[in-house]
Amino acid sequence: MGNPVGMELSSRRLGATTAVLTIGGEVDLYTTPQVKEEIVGLIDAGVRRLVVDLSAAEYLDSTALGTLVGALKRLREHDGELRLANPAPRIRKLLEITRLLKVFEVRDSVAQALEGWHEQGATA
Amino acid sequence: MSTMAASRIELKIPGRPEFISVARLAVAAVAARMGFDYDDIEDLKVATGEALTNAIQDAQTRGREGGEDILVMCSVEAQALVIEVCDQGSGFDPERRRCALEQEELPEGGLGLLLIEALCDEVRFETKPGSGTLVRMTKHLVRF
Repeated sequence: MGNPVGMELSSRRLGATTAVLTIGGEVDLYTTPQVKEEIVGLIDAGVRRLVVDLSAAEYLDSTALGTLVGALKRLREHDGELRLANPAPRIRKLLEITRLLKVFEVRDSVAQALEGWHEQGATA
Repeated sequence: MSTMAASRIELKIPGRPEFISVARLAVAAVAARMGFDYDDIEDLKVATGEALTNAIQDAQTRGREGGEDILVMCSVEAQALVIEVCDQGSGFDPERRRCALEQEELPEGGLGLLLIEALCDEVRFETKPGSGTLVRMTKHLVRF
């Protein structure tokens, strides 16, 4: 069976330690491993400040949320940070239910999420 | 909705992650047909997906991914949709899982249970270690 879910994933580096990961479509148990692999790859490559752009994310399940928590933990181990940008109201609701709205820094846009992270070339 | 009164729709899916979205879409179609609004339909999709995720993760843990089918049953009642997800897995203790979640500062797992309980009007787990799990989730069409 092919990919029935429809997830889009892309990342771009904004300097040596900053990156934006864009997640679109539906992320569930089937597609979460790809998100985890991408995040691990970014951290292994030296990224310490990560914005996860959720503007185009339509559905995140508990495994996707757990993967974001895991990413936050790994980044904190390296004195890093993770911020979420522009989750839809549906996804904010899930973050609230799981009490993760208090855990993550959530900003209204990628540009706002990058604020304060001064690095050469690190602009939205 | 009169044309769907007392209907029962059953879907048996292989216990593999790629089929979760199929069940979500089926449940959404039934709920839309009954007249649920967008938010309620999304709630039902998430709750169904989480119940299936629990079942498939349990099978993965036992090395049985894809080896056991999962039954998703939608019962259309006059003012409610009842979704039952039934697996043949190892069962679990919901209370123990809740306690484990409470003790974790940054939990990476176990969030599905929170979502199921928050997004449905009634939830019942029929499970015990070794005898599979039935998750029964009810959403009312009219709030009381």
